[in-house]
Amino acid sequence: MFSFLVRRILATIPVMVVVALFVFSLLFVAPGDPAAVIAGDQATPEQVERIRQSLGLDRPFLVQFSDWAWRLLHADLGRSIFTNLPVTTMIAQRIEPTLSLMTITLLFSIIVAVPVGVLAAWKAGTWIDRLVMGFAVLGFSVPVFVVGYLLAYFIALELEWLPVQGYTPIARGLWPWLENLILPAIALGFAYIALIARITRAAMLEVLQQDYIRTARAKGLAQTPVLFIHALKNASIPIVTVIGIGVALLIGGAVVTESVFAIPGLGRLTVDAILRRDYPVIQGIVLLFSFVYVLVNLAVDLIYTLIDPRIRY
Amino acid sequence: MDRRTFLKISAGAGAFAASSGIAAPAIAQGAAKTLRFVPQANLANFDPIWGTQYVVRNASVMVWDTLYGFDENLVPQRQMVEGEETSDDGLIWTFKLRSGLKFHDGEPVLAKDVVASLTRWCARDSMGVMIKAIQQDLAAVDDRTVKWTLKKPFPKMLLALGKNSTPMAFIMPERVAKTDPFKQIEEYVGSGPMKFVKGEWVPGAKAVFEKFDAYQPRQEKASWLAGGKNMLVDRVEWVVMPDPATASAALQNGEVDWWENPITDLIPILKKNRNIAVDIADPLGNIGSFRMNHLHPPFNDVKVRRAVLMALDQEEYMRALVGDDNNMWKSVPGYFTPGTPLYTEEGGEILKGKRDIAAAKKLLAESSYKGEPVTCVVAQDQPITKAMGDVTAELLKRIGMNVDFVATDWGTVGQRRAQKSPPGQGGWGMFHTWHAGADCVNPAVYIAIRATGDTAWFGWPNVPSVETEVGAWFEAKNLDEEKAAIARLNKAALDNVVYAPTGFFMGYQAWRKNVSGIVKGPIPFPWGVSKTA
Amino acid sequence: MNPPPADAVSAAAPALPDLWPPVKVRRGFTGFLRRHPTVAIGGALLLVMVFIAVFAPYLGTVDPTTLATSRRTRPPSAAAWFGTDMLGRDIYSRVLYGARVSLTVGFSVAILASLTGLLIGLVSGMVRWADGFIMRVMDGLMSIPSILLAIALMALTRGSIGNVILAITIAEIPRVSRLVRSVVLSLREQPYVDAAIAAGTRTPLIILRHILPNTVAPMTVQATYICASAMIIEAILSFIGAGVPPIIPSWGNIMADGRALWQAKPFIVFFPAVFLSLTVLAVNLLGDGLRDALDPRLAKAP
Repeated sequence: MFSFLVRRILATIPVMVVVALFVFSLLFVAPGDPAAVIAGDQATPEQVERIRQSLGLDRPFLVQFSDWAWRLLHADLGRSIFTNLPVTTMIAQRIEPTLSLMTITLLFSIIVAVPVGVLAAWKAGTWIDRLVMGFAVLGFSVPVFVVGYLLAYFIALELEWLPVQGYTPIARGLWPWLENLILPAIALGFAYIALIARITRAAMLEVLQQDYIRTARAKGLAQTPVLFIHALKNASIPIVTVIGIGVALLIGGAVVTESVFAIPGLGRLTVDAILRRDYPVIQGIVLLFSFVYVLVNLAVDLIYTLIDPRIRY
Repeated sequence: MDRRTFLKISAGAGAFAASSGIAAPAIAQGAAKTLRFVPQANLANFDPIWGTQYVVRNASVMVWDTLYGFDENLVPQRQMVEGEETSDDGLIWTFKLRSGLKFHDGEPVLAKDVVASLTRWCARDSMGVMIKAIQQDLAAVDDRTVKWTLKKPFPKMLLALGKNSTPMAFIMPERVAKTDPFKQIEEYVGSGPMKFVKGEWVPGAKAVFEKFDAYQPRQEKASWLAGGKNMLVDRVEWVVMPDPATASAALQNGEVDWWENPITDLIPILKKNRNIAVDIADPLGNIGSFRMNHLHPPFNDVKVRRAVLMALDQEEYMRALVGDDNNMWKSVPGYFTPGTPLYTEEGGEILKGKRDIAAAKKLLAESSYKGEPVTCVVAQDQPITKAMGDVTAELLKRIGMNVDFVATDWGTVGQRRAQKSPPGQGGWGMFHTWHAGADCVNPAVYIAIRATGDTAWFGWPNVPSVETEVGAWFEAKNLDEEKAAIARLNKAALDNVVYAPTGFFMGYQAWRKNVSGIVKGPIPFPWGVSKTA
Repeated sequence: MNPPPADAVSAAAPALPDLWPPVKVRRGFTGFLRRHPTVAIGGALLLVMVFIAVFAPYLGTVDPTTLATSRRTRPPSAAAWFGTDMLGRDIYSRVLYGARVSLTVGFSVAILASLTGLLIGLVSGMVRWADGFIMRVMDGLMSIPSILLAIALMALTRGSIGNVILAITIAEIPRVSRLVRSVVLSLREQPYVDAAIAAGTRTPLIILRHILPNTVAPMTVQATYICASAMIIEAILSFIGAGVPPIIPSWGNIMADGRALWQAKPFIVFFPAVFLSLTVLAVNLLGDGLRDALDPRLAKAP
């Protein structure tokens, strides 16, 4: 088990190297001289040259990359071209809202989607199934920001049940924190719920056709809910897989959701940074999100062992 | 860990977290003393001498103070200065600071701070540059007295020191003012009525200012930048909202108190709301503009510029900005603010009357334009420039020019427009902006009208006749002479298209009715503004 | 029910009556559509959208880029069926022309990503020494969420349809290549492929005859999902200002333009949103339907 852990973690390293390489190359593939980009428009040619030398941009690419990677491992992501603040500071300032949003959305989506998918599988072929699956496909098709605006309009503005924008740190109280996150979480989770519900249904259908389920039913095993605990447990591998992969959806959707609901998180930072071509910030964020994604999928692999005792690495 | 333990722990954690919701009521009391303001743009950097964007200036007036300040009649009044003296020949200016002025770090404001600040300001401000050119000496005589010795008289000195156009002559501590004028400062310490809380600054999201208790406001009534700057709230929070729809919803829900520039289409909704007041933001309005790059083709040819001006329809631009309300815009066949003494229409025939596209095309054909694409840089996050950008793209297409439309953000426009390189190599062909009417009342404050070539504002127009008339205005002895000089200036500027004025427009501001003391003006002044819970 | 004629040699006992009436299995295309209604609905809807995109100029539209700022933000009326936007442009025309952009982006990305992914997947599956390296690179790219990847790539370039297509394609290639590779790997072990290799068949022929046909079904299904995903990503990119340049009407752009006014003039965002959702819905239904139709395990008994 431990050796599995180690091997799995080691396996993520080449992946992260590829990501890091890609992210680092961004600055070089960009039009214009990287030193000039970093120095800014007000700089004189001497200043640009000084920056070029201090960053070692005249050295071979691989040498620069290893240097950058070394600094990376010391949590030094460079400085933003625009605000001149260290990228790590800017990320640290805005990570709490995004983390909160994604966690709440994750929990909310799983809590809603899994039972719904199970229900659809149980009543497969009936109108309930078609309704649920219809909603699922719809959830996939409507863009995140449209859902966001609709929710903001009807629930926040018309009914005034919830605030329309902003973020309250959890330090100021649990309910205020949640209040600001409910609508964004629903908007963001829409597509995610659709995805999980579909996979849950599909996986459950497969499992429900298995012989051991039929045997259990034939033996008169309690009620169907108990069966669902059996069935669900066996169906959960693909479900958990999709939950992991779907985190990419959340990350991408967070960018838009934060714009619509004025949440001062990493998503908005990304949008600002790309419009301004603030490459150090873009690099830092892409790296961070990819790392989170890799971690999530690592966690998914670990959860497999908890669910299915047959899986031993 | 088995399931039961896990459930127990999470239940415990949940209960604990829920109990911390009790903190909420205490917050509500503090809320009455916090003014939440939605600014026109993000405060990405905070050096008012280095960066000339309005949003930087608007934040800076809270943190830094000036020797003089414009009142609502655009007359400079004493602010940090107790008194001034001019020698009979006008060559020596002596300023005496008020006593008891302090910086936010507790240090007293001394003459040497003033000297350093003015030196830095002179390097970047157009009037400052003029003063520096005729400067003999600028020194601190004692801790509260500053002496400025010139080689020629400069009658507009007080105007220069008190003007509200960027960069304003803010007084900073000596150590901060010694920063190279072409690099940004890193410490935001001033002697203004509010302190900048750097620790809570989240660029792109929030900027926080706290009342400076040791500030000594003047006794006179506040009038724009003059008089006593009394802060009636403890905290001002700038909440950056790039999405106007979100800002509008937030204002309606009471999540923010004051919005600097609501877009016109949302005004009817705001007006309908019982808790919101809406009014003109600045009676001096704004003049929309786009600037062409005089250094490189195609706009280095005056015929091309005139062709564009021929086809330019100011009504089209203004309607795109303010919609159907005819009270909110005027066409302006010139460069000076309507309703002010120096307004003139001399030379403005090209902008008046029905647009003659055929004539514009003909002029374009006679020019040196060879069909190369025009690099048009447009900020998408500013509703004003976004709307104007689309209209311009259409305008250029109409007369047969090719457009390379670069959609970017306001911060990038600010950086890119400073590039003098050719458009194909990181430079630009045209960009959009606007000027507050207060900045277009006379050549002293009007950096955008100056045509000194390489040292002019972005676009670098080089029109000696305009500069001659600017000189004439400075030398003018009475209003009639000033007007005559300005009329000639207007014509020369239009003939050579220093920039293209797209029209005169006004904007609204909106605030919740439990906020009072908001005045109309070119800057959202926070002093005198109070809030009931 | 009448028992069959008594000459049946096998008739030892009279045949049991049918429990259900016999269902006529319709062969052919119509039969296919009847049995898989999702394909029918999705396909029909998509065809409508394609029709709109192709024949936009003839469907009562005006030039979508013509400004008329004196008529800005008018609600839907007889003169402007979907109303006008902030610059007075006719939204109906912009939405119809916008279909072109979205469909072009969707289809191009689906095709390009599929072809490239196919190539990479084949190489990876057939050439063992390249497999490890290629898969690491693909894993790396897959670790970057597609929108972030597309955003980062758009930051490098000017906004244009070509660049948007390129950016989204690069983000979608890894998934296709994984899919193809897994098909190739599983087929490589099949006895008939072994036999073909033993018989001396050249590799290209093996690929062509045995492997490619088996990739068609899963790739087609995957392609539809990529198409749907690409259209949504394009809308999001345009929405945050990093997509197709604002001069070109695309559904994302129209929504981005109207987002500031959605409370006052919701029709600006509403119409492109509906069209986009319907199109993506159509493609998703098509994909679902095809997947059900082409998956032998889910073949329904008539």
